[in-house]
Amino acid sequence: MNNSVLSIQNLCVNYITPGNPVKAVNDVSFEIQQGEIFGLVGESGSGKSTVVQAVLRTLPPPAVITGGKVIINNKDILSISNADVLQYRWKQISIVMQSALNALNPVLTIREQIKDVLEIHSDLTGKAIDNRIHELLSLIDIDVSRLDSYPHQLSGGMRQRVVIAIALALMPPLIIMDEPTTALDVIVEREILAKIIELRKELGFTILFITHDINLLLEFADRLAIMRNGKLIELGQTQKIRAGGEHSYTQKLIGALPSASGPRKKGLLSKPKNPDFGSKPLLEIKNLSKNFPVSGFFRPKLIEAVKEVSFQVFPGEIVALVGESGSGKSTIAKLITRLIRPTSGDIFLNGTNKKVSEARRVPLEYRKQVQMVFQDPFGSLNAVHTVYHHLVRPLLRHQLIPKDELFNYIIEMLENVGLSPGAMFAEKFPHEMSGGERQRVALARALSLEPDLIVADEPTSMLDVSIRMEILEVLAQMRIKKNLSIIFITHDLASARYLADRIIVLQHGSIVEQGLAEDLIQSPEKTYTKQLVKAASPGWFESLSFNHKKKD
Amino acid sequence: MDYIHNSIFTRWITGIIQNRKAVTGVGIIFVFIFLAVFGPFITQDPTAFLSRPLSPPSWEHWLGTNGQGQDVLAQTISGARQTLLVGFTTGIMVVLIGALIGGISGYYGGRIDDILSLLINVFLVMPGLPLMVILASWLPPGPGTLTGVLVLTGWAWNARVIRSQMMTFRNRDFVSAAIVSGERNIRIIIIEIMPRMLSLLASSFIGASIYAIGAQVGLEFLGLGDVSTITWGTNLYWASNDMALLTGSWWTFVPTGLSIAIVSFALTLINFGIDEVTNPRLISERVWRENIPRDKAVNGITPVVKDHE
Repeated sequence: MNNSVLSIQNLCVNYITPGNPVKAVNDVSFEIQQGEIFGLVGESGSGKSTVVQAVLRTLPPPAVITGGKVIINNKDILSISNADVLQYRWKQISIVMQSALNALNPVLTIREQIKDVLEIHSDLTGKAIDNRIHELLSLIDIDVSRLDSYPHQLSGGMRQRVVIAIALALMPPLIIMDEPTTALDVIVEREILAKIIELRKELGFTILFITHDINLLLEFADRLAIMRNGKLIELGQTQKIRAGGEHSYTQKLIGALPSASGPRKKGLLSKPKNPDFGSKPLLEIKNLSKNFPVSGFFRPKLIEAVKEVSFQVFPGEIVALVGESGSGKSTIAKLITRLIRPTSGDIFLNGTNKKVSEARRVPLEYRKQVQMVFQDPFGSLNAVHTVYHHLVRPLLRHQLIPKDELFNYIIEMLENVGLSPGAMFAEKFPHEMSGGERQRVALARALSLEPDLIVADEPTSMLDVSIRMEILEVLAQMRIKKNLSIIFITHDLASARYLADRIIVLQHGSIVEQGLAEDLIQSPEKTYTKQLVKAASPGWFESLSFNHKKKD
Repeated sequence: MDYIHNSIFTRWITGIIQNRKAVTGVGIIFVFIFLAVFGPFITQDPTAFLSRPLSPPSWEHWLGTNGQGQDVLAQTISGARQTLLVGFTTGIMVVLIGALIGGISGYYGGRIDDILSLLINVFLVMPGLPLMVILASWLPPGPGTLTGVLVLTGWAWNARVIRSQMMTFRNRDFVSAAIVSGERNIRIIIIEIMPRMLSLLASSFIGASIYAIGAQVGLEFLGLGDVSTITWGTNLYWASNDMALLTGSWWTFVPTGLSIAIVSFALTLINFGIDEVTNPRLISERVWRENIPRDKAVNGITPVVKDHE
């Protein structure tokens, strides 16, 4: 027979609802060959995670597998008994889940969690188990002294390695990786991926890699499949797909994200023709610091989230704050929008520094001038209110528009951000719109007060890849039309490069480096910035050291 | 302009209407409220001596008479009035006080929270039942006293629950967005956050009402209510005083006892209904179970039902 490790034939999965069943996976077929890295790509709701969970038969209610075959070891695991299902899980297939903090049990040590798997699924006992645990730990480069740590004592990258070790515990021929690096910072993500590929070379297992990020898979996958709305729309060799594939959606996905290095692509986002931001700053931040107390009964500690940060934003300028998680970028956003008070330092808006630290109340005028766009459009709109309510409240509060013109003004605002017809969207509730539409509503709300400054905190990171650039384009155009200043907060250097005029790189609450966007990307000075630029550029995988060693 | 169509509330209301449990519960409660309001105009005088004491059910007296020769049916129906009134009033007040104190405490945090939390905690650790008994026997008896005592001993738990719910909402983005747009705190609490808590408030109200009816009947049964009024609690008190158990006159206490049980049951049904409607996962899991063969609905293993369409 052929040497396929997993063969999925015409798989169908339904979610049962009180109305018609939802077809989450519709007639999907593919085979994974021994030893390959097979990539499965799709945006949220495409059914990619449903496929792998159906393979493991771990889909929770209300899911029902309604058709097809899943063949592993010449056995159709959709027709075996429930007891046999438990047998093949982990021995034949294991899975690395997305969020390592959720996949690990917070009250058990690392040793206990690895031991658990070995005790249940293998015949090893006593000393043999300990030996195996040590072996696994050395595979993933974690020191044996860490075995008695609890998950929260390890960094995100280390936790993800432990999850990989657990997946490797029984050496299954196939390992499913469901967005294993999505929750990690770019540099750590690259390290983990390098480790995975290195382990595969050593141990020879097959990988089914699932992600929403096609550019990641183009680096190292052998074959790729693309899913959309529960259907498989593209399947082929990576080179073929890199060249554009057959489906138009594939091209859209590949072209959706700009690159952080190489020559600048022209015309990706609108820029003003003659950028001139004057010499008088709109916003000036001086020696801003914020400490958060961490409760501890005997030793109350302070976390320094932002340390002595100073920078300026000029009228009409877009400044990007780039940093990984823990760099303090979101804290700076909250400080500037005055959602929290700084521990020390000053925030000058138009040269005045009104009651920054002493008063709880923020002047209404400041609220009008500085607006914010949040990361998660599902959370920043209130599910019980209409779009109209979200837009009318700030206008009523600030009394900017006469009451009888409110409705027309709001419709105009909605159409400005690309929601047309505005009258129809005004009546909608958040749950009746897609993620991109919701984020446009959030943009319209921030813009409706005609602010001088908008703080956009990762406005695209929760959105599907294919619509991210469209949202950024709305920001880019509004800047030109209204001479708006924007502080764009992101972890993604590539989108910062295209949207912003200036980039400020943050690490551990301090500014590492800042400069004009293109200069900083082309010739970074600090090591950290260089690492960031490299991690966000295509071809990083080829440059990994073991690739060269093995080829010699 | 009318913007209420297809809001989360209209979805909930249609959900409740379609929910068998909730509809049954609401129906039963309506029957009792209807009887409580209009019943006394139809029945015989509940206070009059009408027939031989402790006579069993007959055509004249459907549920017999009690130790004072009064009609039990009339007594049960009249008793519903004050019992339900005190029960639901207490429920409303417990939720209002809980939402006010718990809401403010959770929203503002800091020192305000420290002080209000202390207050809540003091009331939580006070032993409720002895306090109720002491207060009820010390204050002049009557429906006002009963309501006051029940609210005083019952509000704290509710405030605690609402406070923790408020704390999770406090840090949500939609609240931050309202703050950034300049909205006043009180408006954020009432217009933005409270509607999101509606299911919690509704089930708190129902839970508090069940508690209030039970506790009230208990106090009155102990003789701590106003024994000259007619309520379900005093009905039981008199039945016990007249040795109904010893003489085997079951008809004097069973109707009242059954009414209390049915009202609590109906309220609990409504609570289940609200739970299902506001937590769609419960419904989808139920529909899932109804739609697949019983032997395949195993926890932890996705069923394969090939002919299902």
